Amino acid sequence: MVGLSEGEKHFIHGGIAQDIRTDGRRRLQFRALSVQTGVIPQADWWLLVLQANGSAHVRLGATEIIASVKAELGKPSILHPDKGKVSIFVDCSPTAEPMFEGRGSEELSAELSVALQRCLLGGKSGAGAAIDLSSLIVVEGKVCWDLYIDGLVVSSDGNLLDALSAAIKVALSDTGIPKVNVSLSAASDEEPEVDVSDEEFLQFDTSSVPVIITLTKVGRHYIVDATSEEESQMSSAVSVSVNRHGQICGLTKRGGAGLDPSVILDMISVAKHVSQQFISLLDSEIAAAEAEAEE
Amino acid sequence: MKDRHLSLNQTQRVRLEAALHELQSLAPAAASAAAVTVADTIPVNQEDNILKGHGTSDQDGEVVATLCGVVERVNKLVYVRTLKARYKPEVGDIIVGRVIEIAPKRWRLEINFSQDAVLMLSSMNLPDGIQRRRTAVDELNMRSIFEENDVICAEVRGFQHDGSLHLQARSEKYGKLERGQLLMVPPYLVKRKKQHFHHLEQYNVDLILGCNGFIWVGEHVVVGEKTKTTGGQQRFSTEAENFTPLETRKHICRLANAVRVLSALGFTLIVELIIETMEASVSSNVEINDMLGAEFYVQTAEREAKRRADLLRKKNGASSREGQLLMVPPYLVKKKQHFHHLEQYNVDLILGCNGFIWVCDMNYVAWEICNSLARLYEYLISQAIECPSQSVQVTNTFVKNLWRGFMRVPCAK
Repeated sequence: MVGLSEGEKHFIHGGIAQDIRTDGRRRLQFRALSVQTGVIPQADWWLLVLQANGSAHVRLGATEIIASVKAELGKPSILHPDKGKVSIFVDCSPTAEPMFEGRGSEELSAELSVALQRCLLGGKSGAGAAIDLSSLIVVEGKVCWDLYIDGLVVSSDGNLLDALSAAIKVALSDTGIPKVNVSLSAASDEEPEVDVSDEEFLQFDTSSVPVIITLTKVGRHYIVDATSEEESQMSSAVSVSVNRHGQICGLTKRGGAGLDPSVILDMISVAKHVSQQFISLLDSEIAAAEAEAEE
Repeated sequence: MKDRHLSLNQTQRVRLEAALHELQSLAPAAASAAAVTVADTIPVNQEDNILKGHGTSDQDGEVVATLCGVVERVNKLVYVRTLKARYKPEVGDIIVGRVIEIAPKRWRLEINFSQDAVLMLSSMNLPDGIQRRRTAVDELNMRSIFEENDVICAEVRGFQHDGSLHLQARSEKYGKLERGQLLMVPPYLVKRKKQHFHHLEQYNVDLILGCNGFIWVGEHVVVGEKTKTTGGQQRFSTEAENFTPLETRKHICRLANAVRVLSALGFTLIVELIIETMEASVSSNVEINDMLGAEFYVQTAEREAKRRADLLRKKNGASSREGQLLMVPPYLVKKKQHFHHLEQYNVDLILGCNGFIWVCDMNYVAWEICNSLARLYEYLISQAIECPSQSVQVTNTFVKNLWRGFMRVPCAK
């Protein structure tokens, strides 16, 4: 991360206060969003390359994220025999920043993974999760689908959390879970035989998957979609996860400065307002990407 | 600068390809012939002892490029120069850099070169302006002149024997840059010109095109205030009065976005082009933020293709302009306004002080006026022979009167 001189910091503060940021955006304006689906090939079983059931490549300005969803058959946990399992993991590639090489990105990756898990996976019992875990069950108590959602930060220019949540939402919309035929002649304590179909796929319904909007507080104002320069000037940041119905699914506050509760409530309402536009933009981009894929 | 990706829809893609194709056809053929990609054979005369430089290699007796770039030939040396290479400094270049370290008696700056540049304390004016020997106290107070992460503009003084770069910032126009933003573009887009500091009065903005690809766009600072010391952090309060005025900020952001679009398209950064792009965005009511969008990107490419095509047409047209050169005795032409464009006749009249008069036009040759001048010349010669002490001043009004039929040449006594 390149440092900034006092004059440049002053310029950034002034821009945010006057509602004209360094690239001309207003405070609540997003950068250009570009979405691609199906970037990692689905079942090419003669290739030993990494496969995914669903994938997405999302660009938000200069921030680039690749998200992939992989589904494997596994055993459900004893506490919740009627629910599948989902795990989210984020990795920061050294192509984004030299300091991400080796173990340099561990802290950031862990922070992002935990934030995404809190927003998308709900509680321990699976209640309130964005994805309906009951739909992942194949044979109750014995076989279920395990979803592994991976996010890779290819290029980092601020606002990683928003871009990751958008990428995961798009990847889930691109995911196809193979249909499974269970052979009925199985005893109750034996492992049932399952036949994974190669042709038929079940698409996910991602209309209830929330997106994360991060509001960065610089000086006395909040901005949406901060670049890495603006993020270096932040006093605190609040990430709100909002779904299509305007309900809050998760909340994270970063940064050392303390915030008055009224400020937090104001930021939440601003995030709700901004999220509706963002969700509709993302949905239209997903539809466009799907239409292109079908061509 | 990080690459931005633009999603173009179908029509925009078609328009962009058409514009880029036109630009490529307008480029001189020699330039495109010299471009090579990896594994291209470089045409070389085998009999000469060609020295194979950087970016080339010998494969089966042929010289093959190992980089993508432009082939350069210097005497017997053939090498491939890449476009997005690091900055190659030359003595006298104006550069913009960022301080990364304060070392004993010097500052180290990052300037997109393979090494850090060094600005010696002795190459920098002291805040009080007195020319004196730098003492230990001056060395301890270096941080009050430039701190870490400050943006500075300076000039390349020279190279040291170990290849490191030395800078100097002795003039009033060099020094710390504040109240603006720094942009980083590939260095090959900034050509060496006579002037790198541009003060755009109509916008109250300073535009500094550093040869190393660092471009500074900021509020105008009166020359002489750049080298003042920082009076502590109190200067930069977050008071609204201290911020850049809104209009100036809008101009700064527009200019910065114009530079970003032009560098994304790979066009050489010239002040006129940047200002033209910015004014085009204002006149077509493009929002400042939308200048980075796909539509403005395609429009800029189209505009540049049109501009270059017009320039080429004008250049070709200019050389075939018809006109007449008349030679009169030099004492007849007094030092007044010399370039005259006679609108009513669509004729250019240039009265050279050496007695050569050029009459020409854009569309058609005005034979009448040429003939008049020819007649004038003959008349003047005859006058000179008859009354050598008299002189006739050849001026614009004189020619106009001549055209109107005043054939009587008034003799100035």
